[in-house]
Amino acid sequence: MTSGGEAILFWVLAPMAVAGSLGLVFARKAVHAALGMALTMIVLGVFYLAQGADFLGVIQIFVYTGAVMMLFLFVVMLVGVDSSDSIVETLKGQRAATVVLSLGLGVLLAGALGRVTIGDAPADKVHALNAQNGNVSGVAELIFGRYVWVFEATSALLITAALAAMVLAHRERLGSRPSQRAWSERRIRSGENLAGLPVPGVYARHNAVDTPALLPDGSPSELSVSRVLTARDQVGNATPWVEAEREIERDVSQDRDRDDAAKEDRA
Amino acid sequence: MTAALTALPTAFEAVKVDYAAVGPMLVVVAAALIGVLVEAFAPRLLRHTIQVVLTLTALVVAFVVLVLVSVDHHGVTVGGSIVIDGPALFMQGSLLIFAVLGILTMSERFGGRSADAFTPMGAATPGSPAEAAADRAGYATSEAFPLTMFAVFGMLMFVSANDLITMFVALEVLSLPLYVLTGLARRRRLLSQEASLKYFLLGAFSSAFFLFGAALLYGYAGSSDLSKIASAITTANGDLEGLLLPGVVLTLVGLLFKIGAVPFHSWTPDAYQGAPSPVTGFMAAATKLAAFGAILRLAYVGLEASRLEWRLGVAAIAVLTMVVGAVLSVTQTDIKRLLAYSSVAHAGFILVGVLAFDRTGVSGVMFYLVAYGLATIAAFAIVALVRSGGSEATHLSQWAGLGRKHPVLAGIFALLLLAFAGIPLTSGFTAKFAAFAPAIAHGGLAGVVMVVVGVLASAVTAFVYFRLIVLMYFTEPTGDDVAALTPSIASTIAITVGALGTVILGIVPGPILDLAGRVSQFIQ
Amino acid sequence: MNSLALLAAEGEVASATGITAYAWLLVLLPLAGAGLLLLGGKATNAWGHLLATALSWASFVVGLLVLLAMVGRGHEERAAHVGGWNFIPAGQFQLETGLLVDQLSIAFVLLITFVGSLIHVYSIGYMAHDPNRRKFFAYLNLFVASMLLLVLADSYLLLFVGWEGVGLASYLLIGFWNHNPAYATAANKAFFVNRVGDVGMSIAIMLMFATFGSVDFATVHAGAAEAGSTTMTVLGLLLLVGACAKSAQFPLQSWLGDAMAGPTPVSALIHAATMVTAGVYLVVRSHSIFDAAPNAQLAVAIVGAITLLYGAIVGCAKDDIKKALAASTMSQIGYMMLAAGLGPVGYAFAIFHLITHGFFKAGMFLGAGSVMHGMKDRVDMRGFGGLSGFMKITWVTFGLGWLAILGVPPFSGFWSKDKIIEAAFIGEGWRPWVFGGIAMIGAGITAFYMSRLFFMTFHGKKRWVDEHEDAERGVHPHESPLTMTVPMMVLAVGSGLLGLVLSWGGMFTHWLEPVVGAHGEEHPVLAVPVIMALTLLLVAGGAAYAWMLYWRDEVAVVAPRGSLVTQAARADLYQDAINEGLFMRPGTHLTRALVFTDGKGVDGVAGSLAAMIGGASSRLRRVQTGYARSYALTMLTGVVAVLGALWVMN
Repeated sequence: MTSGGEAILFWVLAPMAVAGSLGLVFARKAVHAALGMALTMIVLGVFYLAQGADFLGVIQIFVYTGAVMMLFLFVVMLVGVDSSDSIVETLKGQRAATVVLSLGLGVLLAGALGRVTIGDAPADKVHALNAQNGNVSGVAELIFGRYVWVFEATSALLITAALAAMVLAHRERLGSRPSQRAWSERRIRSGENLAGLPVPGVYARHNAVDTPALLPDGSPSELSVSRVLTARDQVGNATPWVEAEREIERDVSQDRDRDDAAKEDRA
Repeated sequence: MTAALTALPTAFEAVKVDYAAVGPMLVVVAAALIGVLVEAFAPRLLRHTIQVVLTLTALVVAFVVLVLVSVDHHGVTVGGSIVIDGPALFMQGSLLIFAVLGILTMSERFGGRSADAFTPMGAATPGSPAEAAADRAGYATSEAFPLTMFAVFGMLMFVSANDLITMFVALEVLSLPLYVLTGLARRRRLLSQEASLKYFLLGAFSSAFFLFGAALLYGYAGSSDLSKIASAITTANGDLEGLLLPGVVLTLVGLLFKIGAVPFHSWTPDAYQGAPSPVTGFMAAATKLAAFGAILRLAYVGLEASRLEWRLGVAAIAVLTMVVGAVLSVTQTDIKRLLAYSSVAHAGFILVGVLAFDRTGVSGVMFYLVAYGLATIAAFAIVALVRSGGSEATHLSQWAGLGRKHPVLAGIFALLLLAFAGIPLTSGFTAKFAAFAPAIAHGGLAGVVMVVVGVLASAVTAFVYFRLIVLMYFTEPTGDDVAALTPSIASTIAITVGALGTVILGIVPGPILDLAGRVSQFIQ
Repeated sequence: MNSLALLAAEGEVASATGITAYAWLLVLLPLAGAGLLLLGGKATNAWGHLLATALSWASFVVGLLVLLAMVGRGHEERAAHVGGWNFIPAGQFQLETGLLVDQLSIAFVLLITFVGSLIHVYSIGYMAHDPNRRKFFAYLNLFVASMLLLVLADSYLLLFVGWEGVGLASYLLIGFWNHNPAYATAANKAFFVNRVGDVGMSIAIMLMFATFGSVDFATVHAGAAEAGSTTMTVLGLLLLVGACAKSAQFPLQSWLGDAMAGPTPVSALIHAATMVTAGVYLVVRSHSIFDAAPNAQLAVAIVGAITLLYGAIVGCAKDDIKKALAASTMSQIGYMMLAAGLGPVGYAFAIFHLITHGFFKAGMFLGAGSVMHGMKDRVDMRGFGGLSGFMKITWVTFGLGWLAILGVPPFSGFWSKDKIIEAAFIGEGWRPWVFGGIAMIGAGITAFYMSRLFFMTFHGKKRWVDEHEDAERGVHPHESPLTMTVPMMVLAVGSGLLGLVLSWGGMFTHWLEPVVGAHGEEHPVLAVPVIMALTLLLVAGGAAYAWMLYWRDEVAVVAPRGSLVTQAARADLYQDAINEGLFMRPGTHLTRALVFTDGKGVDGVAGSLAAMIGGASSRLRRVQTGYARSYALTMLTGVVAVLGALWVMN
């Protein structure tokens, strides 16, 4: 059986791993889901370390948590942290059935696997091998020896992935980028926005590209903010700033009135 | 842990590679890599030609290497990852032939500058001006060819994988390019992209099952080698028995997904419909063959000793597959979906042969796969030719009266349908016979029941096919804008080979059956 | 594996020599015709029909030569095996196929090629103005080739190939005038019912392969006696399913009436003389299986008895001349089935009746075609009457056929049908009384409905309007051209004399003895003269009753409502309603009940079983929602179900 320390480690970390993976599934925000996954990965890495698989544990944390999950987070941040999935289920009975079947699978697997007892032998072997050759060289022997074909074949997988990314996501520019001159010629020819699109709103207390400028009638101009921000639903609202300005104006004018009244009084 | 772990030598020793045995795979993967470089460096307008010539040459060379060199190099190689034996060679050879036919149909240009089936630019929004501009500028997704080669590489590896890890990597190597190819249709791209995504998600789901099952089997046997798993099962491992059944079931689920067995079939109609037709044909023929190759190896080498435990489960799946595939094909109105459900039903028929557990079962299954593959590639190549207003006329009503306008094309299609229906003197009949007879002879009561269901199901599907033939020949055409394009020499070759194969395997199946019979022994 | 070759070596079935070695020409000649006409396209339009006819006759000549060679050999050495073609030579599945030319198959060959060739000639006249004449003749040739393959095959597998071929040709020919949707539906119905039969056949072949390791006749017959009786019974019943579908026997009879939608020569050749009798051939050819399975044999007899009554009753009420003849065909094949189900005493008579029936029924169908030809393609007999004066040749030839089917001595039917009735009275317990009684009553009813048909068409008052009086609805009855009447005359001669000739000194039964086996002298439960007298009395009564109703009395032009029995018979004894009630409705209701929204039910899928499958299909289709998550759920269901089931089992 596992030693006392390892048991404590397991019972502390295992619930965290489970919680992390549940978070991955149920979190509404992509960032939370990614963080949940990162947590699970780290815990798994710790488990590997505890079992004597040093190389695997370190790589698990380095690659999965450090590289893959961080890349995930970057992408999620770039796409927009606020976007969350629709949680309205349109299929009747889908959720209930999913819950029942998942529990069923869980019970079946637990029932089958729960009967299994694994002694100390495998762990002892790992420790013996670690003592003999060292963990890293042991894994290296396997990767470049027995499993070299699989290891090499995996490269086909990576190349396919790269190629697929290029095919599906890389949009080549067709024709040359229009020059400044071409842009202005086009504007003049069409007769719209001759002076260019309006710039975003700039207010006394606030200077941001996400707040639309106001048209003379006081309504916000959608043209003044970047389309990307609109698409991400990150456009700020000018109303508070407008109201704040009105208030200042009112204060100023009240002050002026008061001053005027005072002047008159004095006069 | 593994035997390999316990017996580590002090100094590193590279594994022995029998290059002659794995030669075909190396040729294919080399061609795929060169294809990627061609994409990077060759002028745009030359890429299509270079890719087609390159892939076809490589496939032919691989086949020649296989036939002339690899046949004499039976055995386990590359440290136990790959095994080259009779069934592996037979299926690799068939895969290479399918790949040649598949590439020929994919390369169809109809006089245009790029392959007609693929979108000019995968990243452009469907229907956007960018897409149209890309088309005008002569852009093409000639990456499809190296992607296909990677898939072929995965398939070659899949049928010769000797351990579960190799099998899993091969599964992924063959699947990933297919997911991408599915989403690259030139027309009805939203449908295509949706299909691709569904195929990918469900494929990942099934891969997870496979991986979980493989892990459990590893835990059970202490090795992922199929032969070691077999011996572990024979000696019975008291404490670990609980791992065996879920391991077996979950591993099989991953493979059954690939052949489209019910209830793991739901991706089939959507993916078949959405994918470009030549890709569908290749996918239907080659993926099915590769996946059955893996199932055969897993079942006959790895799990044979425990087969009684899981056999009934797979038998139930086979029955369900035949029934659902046949019944659902009745109400289909889209030709590609119809062929998809027919492929589901065929998967069931082939499973019947697998469950015979006899050498004759192996040869019957291999023969069936070849017969079905040849017919399927040709059928989808013909589907790609029938057009209405520039896009494929896939609705059944549009096929009405095709026999009057294009008697030869419709005649070949009718022949292929007869083969699917299993009418005597076509390959379909011989194939069904070869797959069903061992099931009756060696499958016991379950075998007889499965064959009865199989015959009933094929009667139902025959009705569907005959209705289509009647539609093509005896019904007035609904609109006059449906017409078949004139295929180039490449498509013509593919269709001719498919049709000839169907006839020859129906009338003189002897040589191929004989060959399949001689090479049906797995190396344990 | 190839036991036929083995037996041949032992001297039982000799390999063919001389002209017999060229027996494959029998099949190849018409097949070549079909191929040429179909592939030759429009170029063959002008002379294609002549070529097809010539090739059919050529096949007949080859058959005749083979027969002569066979007669020249000794009684026991007549069967010959023609060169095997190794269909599947690999490993365990040895499937070698060849042709078996023996007394039984050569009888069929001559019937098929002779009647077939006559009908080719007839069709030259009948289809003279059809734009698709070339295709028609190609299909006819295809049919002849397939039918010959069916009867010449030396194994069940090759027989099955021919079996499918005749099915295909029949399907193509029923739907030949497919511009009429009702005809296309009829073709679909025929196709569907035949698939049911094919399923029986396929499973039977698989079972044979599993039991005997081979599917050629010699091995199966040699092993039949030793194999378990349960296997033999199952095998016999499966073959019976196939035979029932092909021969329109109860309960798979529904397609034959609708099949009359095809051109009349087709009805004569396929749906009267040859293809529909393939079921009888199958049972007789498989006699060793049925001999080893008494229960299956009894089932054959019961099916035959039911069908012979069923067809006769339906025939009494049909006003459509072709449908009445179709019902009669059904009933006559019922006689043959009954005979085949009686065992060794009946086999030879089944085949004998099959041959004579082939002649007189084909003759009558051609006569019906000739009537239709003269009556603007009308088929309602209530609109005929008194045609004997206008179509003399048709009247005489049809009359001979009528006398033959009635069993009036000395015409053909008497010699064959009477023997079946006699054989039906042989046996112990209840069987001779039931089967004999049914056969005898059937003869009476047959006399009634055939006389009804004959009198309504050719005698009594004319119930049609002359063309001079009404150009629109009027007709101008006239005799058909020579190409049509000559075949009718030849067949009429056959109807008249063939029975007498073939039964001279028991010639035909003696001829078949080496194939179907001899049987001891057995005596019917009633004395033969008594049976004969009773039968003739019933026949005379039936004919007289018909004379009273349909010649002496006025026949209403519009069918009267009639009694309940008449109405039932007119509606084919409600076969479609029963089919619908049994299969279609529950199928539809099942669909409706299961589907949440209002299901559309089942769209134009022919056949009742098809409707059920269609219903299940549209229900199942709803599982395919298009959402990846629901697909994943389906997969999960599968995993849990399989895992759970296996876990419980272990």
